[in-house]
Amino acid sequence: MHKTIIIVMLFSMVPGMATSQNTSYVPDPKWAAPPKAAVRNNPLTPDPGTTAGGKKLFQRNCVECHGSDGSGLIEKHAADLQLPVVQSQSDGVLFWKITNGNPDSGMPSFSRLPELQRWQLVLYLRTLKEHIPD
Amino acid sequence: MKIVSLAFLLPLLTALAAAGQEGPYFVTYNSHLEEPGNLEIATSSTTGIPRSGQRFYSAPYLELEYGVTGRWTSELYLEGQSTWNDSTIFTGWRFENRFRPLKREHWVNPVLYLEYESVNEASRIQKEIVGHGPDLISPNSELRSGTNHELETKLILSSDVHDWNVAGNFTVEKNLSHNEGFEFGYSFGASRSLGKLATAENCRFCRENFVVGAEVYGGLGTTDGFGFGGAPHYIAPAIAWQISDNSALRVSPGIGLNHESNPVLLRFGYSYEVRGFGNKLARMFGARR
Repeated sequence: MHKTIIIVMLFSMVPGMATSQNTSYVPDPKWAAPPKAAVRNNPLTPDPGTTAGGKKLFQRNCVECHGSDGSGLIEKHAADLQLPVVQSQSDGVLFWKITNGNPDSGMPSFSRLPELQRWQLVLYLRTLKEHIPD
Repeated sequence: MKIVSLAFLLPLLTALAAAGQEGPYFVTYNSHLEEPGNLEIATSSTTGIPRSGQRFYSAPYLELEYGVTGRWTSELYLEGQSTWNDSTIFTGWRFENRFRPLKREHWVNPVLYLEYESVNEASRIQKEIVGHGPDLISPNSELRSGTNHELETKLILSSDVHDWNVAGNFTVEKNLSHNEGFEFGYSFGASRSLGKLATAENCRFCRENFVVGAEVYGGLGTTDGFGFGGAPHYIAPAIAWQISDNSALRVSPGIGLNHESNPVLLRFGYSYEVRGFGNKLARMFGARR
């Protein structure tokens, strides 16, 4: 009885591990920031030091899914952050999405980061659009 | 003596050989779950400084925490215990699951917790304190004689207010092996990062790499006698240091608040995060990129 419980529990973790990744990236139309959040402005000014801090946070928290250049890893079906569909979103929307995440599609919430660090991430995301090829 | 030393040093040695911004709590859970697909391997220990009539002990444990989805985290624990002038023993294992019922961040974020435990009475890791706390007097030979199958639930309430995290847990535990009624426990914690902004430099000792806080935890008796009396209670400052992008060290010296507590409960923990573990495993089983 005891061994059966252990075996069942361990095997229940394996399919969870194997199937818990996103199978395809589809922008979620329901993942929309409330109007009040969307109009918030970034309290930080884009000076090199603050933006570089944002880059460090990006490398620590985001690279796993979005890649080091933000283009999004295919296997993760993560958003390409260089695309106009992302870059055209307001600072407030990006901040809200970083804060809340979209857990059902694989994007975790980063509310554990201090508020200003999340704004630093928004600052850094704005630099990624410069990588868009002509 | 050698075994005792080994049990005490093993978590620290592993730490030297071996997670996002790690919270400092050892007992209190907040609403921050493991990122989906990541595996966190953590080794921790709970060391009790004895009162008169008690013996020094150290209880190391290994945690494997996996983010199954963005709203579901599973964790497996293996635990042991070593008591001065007594013995070193394996005390059992636990399997826990945490679920976030709400999709978005709210003022208060609830998390539901369900854990199955197969542990004996010698367990002293004190990941939670329920009922009247662990038996700190009886010898291991007596305490290890039977295995208890227990079911534990928690209601976790957590709030991120500006740069602070505040969390409270209410625990209910039922021993399925004996008809003992229900045991209750509580914990509260508050913490915040020392740095509001991330610095540009890659530095180990930058303020943003440290999260400091405190937690209060203890038992609330059983269905036969609910209340603070007769159960251990602790107040514990805690600090987490993000050593690298993947690893964190946590330390918390708990101060016993009554005679049922150890005067000091020292906790150390080291965690290493394997990012994308689920993807790697899926590929091993033949999943296409």
